[in-house]
Amino acid sequence: MTTWYLGLSTSGHDPALALVDETGRVVFAEATERFLQDKRAWGVVPDHVPHLAAALAAVGAAPGDRIVPATSWASVKADLGLKVHDALLPASDTIWMQGLQAQMQQNAGASLLRLGLARERPEPMRFDHHLCHAVAACHFAPVADAVCLVIDGEGDVGAVSHFRLTDRRLSRGWRSWGPGSLGTFYGWLTGLCGFDWREGEEWKVMGLAACGRADPALVETLTGLLSADRGRLRFADDAAIAAIRAAVEPLARRPDAPVTDAADLAAAGQAAYARLADQVLEAIAEDGPTLILSGGCALNSSYNGTIAGRTGFERVFVPPCPADDGNAIGAALLAWMADTGAERIAFGGGTPFLGSAPRAKTLEAARRAAAAGHAVTDVAGRSAEVVAGLLAQGRILGVMRGRAEFGPRALGNRSILADPRPAGMKDAINARVKGREPYRPFAPVLAEADLADWFDRPQPSPYMSMTLPWRAGVRDRVPAVVHDDGTGRVQTVGPDSAPWMADLVAAFGRETGVPVVLNTSFNIMGKPILHSVEDALGMLATTGLDAVLIEDVLIEKPAHP
Amino acid sequence: MTRTLTPPAPEVVDFLTAGIARFTKQDPAAIRPDSVLVDLGLQSIDAVLLSGEVEDHFQIELDPATIFSHETVGSFASDITKRLGAR
Repeated sequence: MTTWYLGLSTSGHDPALALVDETGRVVFAEATERFLQDKRAWGVVPDHVPHLAAALAAVGAAPGDRIVPATSWASVKADLGLKVHDALLPASDTIWMQGLQAQMQQNAGASLLRLGLARERPEPMRFDHHLCHAVAACHFAPVADAVCLVIDGEGDVGAVSHFRLTDRRLSRGWRSWGPGSLGTFYGWLTGLCGFDWREGEEWKVMGLAACGRADPALVETLTGLLSADRGRLRFADDAAIAAIRAAVEPLARRPDAPVTDAADLAAAGQAAYARLADQVLEAIAEDGPTLILSGGCALNSSYNGTIAGRTGFERVFVPPCPADDGNAIGAALLAWMADTGAERIAFGGGTPFLGSAPRAKTLEAARRAAAAGHAVTDVAGRSAEVVAGLLAQGRILGVMRGRAEFGPRALGNRSILADPRPAGMKDAINARVKGREPYRPFAPVLAEADLADWFDRPQPSPYMSMTLPWRAGVRDRVPAVVHDDGTGRVQTVGPDSAPWMADLVAAFGRETGVPVVLNTSFNIMGKPILHSVEDALGMLATTGLDAVLIEDVLIEKPAHP
Repeated sequence: MTRTLTPPAPEVVDFLTAGIARFTKQDPAAIRPDSVLVDLGLQSIDAVLLSGEVEDHFQIELDPATIFSHETVGSFASDITKRLGAR
């Protein structure tokens, strides 16, 4: 018999589960949306029975093992009975979300009854929401000492928390109370730009911002929505917010208007976000020079890439899973620490590849079935070279290798890859596979050692957390991965952190002279990143993908005429 | 309702009195340990902000529900005093 610590993200959106073993190692972590193929999986329990059963099987849990569940919130928000702040987002959204959070908190761990792993209703350990963010982030940060900042929509209390990591021990500094949230601000901005934050479309605003011009007066106006008192964010009073809304909302994009009509508004909103985030960072500058940044706002890669060097911080670490899915890891680690008395947060080695692997049995069956209309080749031992060669010929490939990434980014194990050199490649991927808005950028992957040759402000970005400016002289060499403002949300790879992608990038460089590969998530627009071998073959069949590589099995469509 | 026998420390009572007086715009002299928080006109948003000020000033952690589980200034002050002692 052994013990497993089951961390559950119980926000009601982006549910996820994580398992930590007796030694404090994170052995599995996966968002529910992947398993269900339902984007954000709103309202689904994080211990969804078939998903939990699959996760326990993946780690080798046995009947009779002890499972210790833990939630990613200390409290039930609705129980406080506070008046919902509705000056920016409609109260109906918040009331709905609070109801989901209450359900998740109440039912967390109950699936263990169904699986025969509990005889009584489990009473989970419950941990502060921002503490879960911070612990998960520190788990991925290879440093002993740093300041850790959490900025999100809202935690058990406010929307900013400050911690210190000292010799891998985490302690709370301060946290904001009262309403005042950059996450809420960005959600409201997303709506103004004609998108839906509930669909997680903040990405689209951030991408669109690069196409617009931030009017300084509008930035000033938007910045007035919030103030930062020693880093503690507060919304302006209701009258001031109403006045700002009255001034700004006429600029909102109508649903039937072209997306790019909102570009200037997105640019101003992103600039206001940056100014306010800067004010929070200024309040903790003396805790530098190393910053660990987490919470949903840490997905703002455009801002993240500007922090190091410009502010008082020299190094910035963002985990692969800064949003609420990542809290499953935080809750599981906190449960392990509470149960064993461990005081230090172990560094997990940094791998984001913590999810499910392709099922070998399914792959074998698929390999036989696919042989009917496709070329099926075992490329074991030479897969990086083979894929590099296909990419250099202009092929668009889906790759499903090893364990899935935890967090929103495809980092090479569940990725669509292509050649970044042709200017038309972005449109080709959109037309044939992804169906995204044409303005949205695709990401580049390159070796960390090559970064300074290609980017200004070079810094490690193993999880695509940093958007950096391409060097002026190289942009026309890789036009498919250069955004409108000359930036790229880069993934840096090394032989230790992502060996296969490092091999691929090197092979592609030998083949073409350009050691940069285009990497976008293996999904179609509106769907989560795929989960199963069947999903991959379904995408091959129903899109213009040229081939998929599943583990070492290459399945290609007949060559184009 | 949290019940506690810890007598409230004077500096905690003073801190709460000053804060409540500021939030509710009244004379601190009118606020006594047995004053009922709701009767003083302390709005829930102000109660939340006051909790944050207490955390910052005394370097302790409160639960968001803590202040709402107390009826009077003195009862809340006792709870804070107890947490200070346990620190």
